Amino acid sequence: MSELLHFSEHTLQEVALGFMGLVYTTRIVWFLKFKAGTERQAATGPKGTTPTKGILYSWANIAMPWAMESTRRQYLIYAQFVVFHLGVTTAIALSFIIPYGPGLLENQALVLILQIVIAGAFLVGVIRIIRRVSNPYMRAISSPDDYFSLVLLTTWFFFALLAVPNQTSGGEWHLLTYFILTAFFLVYVPFSKISHYLYYPFTRYYLGKTLGYRGVYPVRRAG
Amino acid sequence: MERDDPMSKTATRSYKAEQVIERMGQKLNRQMVGSLLACVHCGMCTESCHYVLANPGDPSYAPAYKGDQIRKLFKRHYDWTGRLFPKWVKADTVWTDEELEELKDTVFGKCTNCRRCSLNCPMGVDLATFNRMARGLLVSVGIMPEGVAVVSKDQWEIGNQMGVLKEDYLETLEWMEEELQDELDDPDVAIPIDQPDCDVVYSINPREVKYDPRSIADAAKIFHVAGEKWTMASEGWDMTNFGLFSGDDALGGSVAQRLYEKVVELRGKELVISECGHGYRSTRCEGPNWAKYDVPFVMESSVFTMLRYIKEGRIKVDKSKNSRPVTYHDSCNMARSCGMYEEPRELLELVCSDFREMYPNRTENYCCTGGGGAMSMSEYTPRRLKSGIIKANQLKETGAEIVVTSCHNCVDGLTDVIRHYELGMEVTQLVNLVANAIVIEPKVAVPVEEELVAVLALAGRTLLVADDEPDQVEFLATVFEDNGAKVLRAANAEEALELARAEKPDLLTLDLAMPGRDVGEVYEILREDPELESLKICVITGRPELRKLIYDRHVRKPEGYMDKPVTEDSLVLAVRRILELAHEEAAAPAES
Repeated sequence: MSELLHFSEHTLQEVALGFMGLVYTTRIVWFLKFKAGTERQAATGPKGTTPTKGILYSWANIAMPWAMESTRRQYLIYAQFVVFHLGVTTAIALSFIIPYGPGLLENQALVLILQIVIAGAFLVGVIRIIRRVSNPYMRAISSPDDYFSLVLLTTWFFFALLAVPNQTSGGEWHLLTYFILTAFFLVYVPFSKISHYLYYPFTRYYLGKTLGYRGVYPVRRAG
Repeated sequence: MERDDPMSKTATRSYKAEQVIERMGQKLNRQMVGSLLACVHCGMCTESCHYVLANPGDPSYAPAYKGDQIRKLFKRHYDWTGRLFPKWVKADTVWTDEELEELKDTVFGKCTNCRRCSLNCPMGVDLATFNRMARGLLVSVGIMPEGVAVVSKDQWEIGNQMGVLKEDYLETLEWMEEELQDELDDPDVAIPIDQPDCDVVYSINPREVKYDPRSIADAAKIFHVAGEKWTMASEGWDMTNFGLFSGDDALGGSVAQRLYEKVVELRGKELVISECGHGYRSTRCEGPNWAKYDVPFVMESSVFTMLRYIKEGRIKVDKSKNSRPVTYHDSCNMARSCGMYEEPRELLELVCSDFREMYPNRTENYCCTGGGGAMSMSEYTPRRLKSGIIKANQLKETGAEIVVTSCHNCVDGLTDVIRHYELGMEVTQLVNLVANAIVIEPKVAVPVEEELVAVLALAGRTLLVADDEPDQVEFLATVFEDNGAKVLRAANAEEALELARAEKPDLLTLDLAMPGRDVGEVYEILREDPELESLKICVITGRPELRKLIYDRHVRKPEGYMDKPVTEDSLVLAVRRILELAHEEAAAPAES
């Protein structure tokens, strides 16, 4: 392993992670400075619906594609969402496995599984790029950040796919690119839409709390 | 160059734009900021909006796009990513009043705040909440549809959103009390006013006074049969709240507090809110927050009250009395903001013999098109009716003859859609069905042989209909003729004037927006003509902002006023009331 690759796998990642953590902390502190709205009225809705149930339902909503019409009807897009986010998780995990647990990748079955997941995510990334460019509704709501984030992640998946076997016999360029992209990704994320997962628990928490208190969540549907 | 710096003190930003940006900071709370930050532009919400579905290919109706028109301001002025890299994240500012007008078109004209997209957003972005905030910001600088300004003014100044005067309100209650006494053949039936220490204080929508007084009588009938100790208030009786639609929290708080304080003054134990989606949400859910008022009594929708009466055996119902097929339309405010969607169905199953579900329903139901105050924004009517195709298809598929809803806005919105798409359905409310299904134990029977003579409501009357829309003329004329009146038709104000002078009708229904001679001018001539002193005039308009054409003139005000669309029942009731009051006034000197 070259010094550059070692640097990219360790120091570069640690600095980038530290930067991301710092920006995220600042971001959360800023966000929490906004006062949360409160409700004075008595609860509405049927007995048994509470803010706590509403919050739990709201958080779990994303794992219940049947709960929302949007995910129920657009099940292919929902499936893409699942594959894409599994890919993100896997590719992030890879950036820890390679430097801190490379022995795991001697298991060929695991390598294959990781590659399948990441390849799936790469494919979804390509589909998402096509959709964002070709669909007039998507074009109308897209910012440069939306396009760039998607292209960045899709490219990152591609190099993660190549990096999974952790082989340097054919050169280090694919591993180097993967780790440099990972570092860039970590630094860029707090400023981009990719940081949405930071807000997800909060938006879902407050929506669930309000709608739980008002008896809307958990949603009941007619058969 | 100045425009590149949104915070520049020397930039040429309009005063209103400056105020909107500054006040946005005061309105932001954590929930809103979360929603403004969390959108990932995934597009999952797009097809949840009825405007999108009715306007394929036009992305400006997409919820995320509409949200971005507000989000861009937030990002540019309050979020660091937008401050650092505005173009990268589509952050932008506003400089001119024209740009604010464009924002108005989006937040008032392309969204009914129905919250359907909010419940379909995987991220939990609540567009309806920050869309309302944006409305409030625009209203605070005087940029709003004229109808919103008119209605808000009425609610601020007169105390109810339709400008119903206290004497008109009390007269209507008295009139309904008499109707009920006749119907039940019981002179003791009353609509109590300002009775202290009652178990129930009943609050209503001013629309009931103006266009649908029958629903007041129906509610009174239910309270009477249930043996309820109840009252209505002489003031502070309007449970609607235009603050919800305009985003004006100060108005919302003031209106809600007026209602709460009246109940406290009367020492009422419970406030029952008649069927109205936004009224229920405003009074029951949002009002205490806007007014920062801890309400010391119980509040419930009349739907719960009626259901409770049946379950407790206080009223008996016979569902066979409502045998025509009915379906139920969930009001957005009831279902998506207050969790009330099972109780109306439970009640319907008890009072109707043929209930058919509408799909989608409950929290997934589509807006009636009249939500968010849309019925008062006549400039967006064509857009609203176009979006109504979604609702129309939903209604048609039920095969029902009657649509039931627990919301007055929905009644008007649905009536409009039904008429526009020629569905031939009726719209009614639960209170009407429950009242109709009530079984009243017969009193001691005394056989009296009586010849029953059916008298048509407007028999012997001559009515002049003035409207430039042939469909509207035909509708009004048919309703009047079916009720026994002789009808004259005029397509413009000049023709109306000539016919009024020649035929001396009892009443003129007057549209305010007709081509040709100025309607206001003709109105003044009619009022000043001594030969037409007995002519009663009822304005029927789809453009409430034109009321000033009439009301600003120093002549006698019209005897009646109705917003389009009007229903057959409300029309006949309103015209009857005007003519009956005229009759009573004419008779009064002779009796005294």
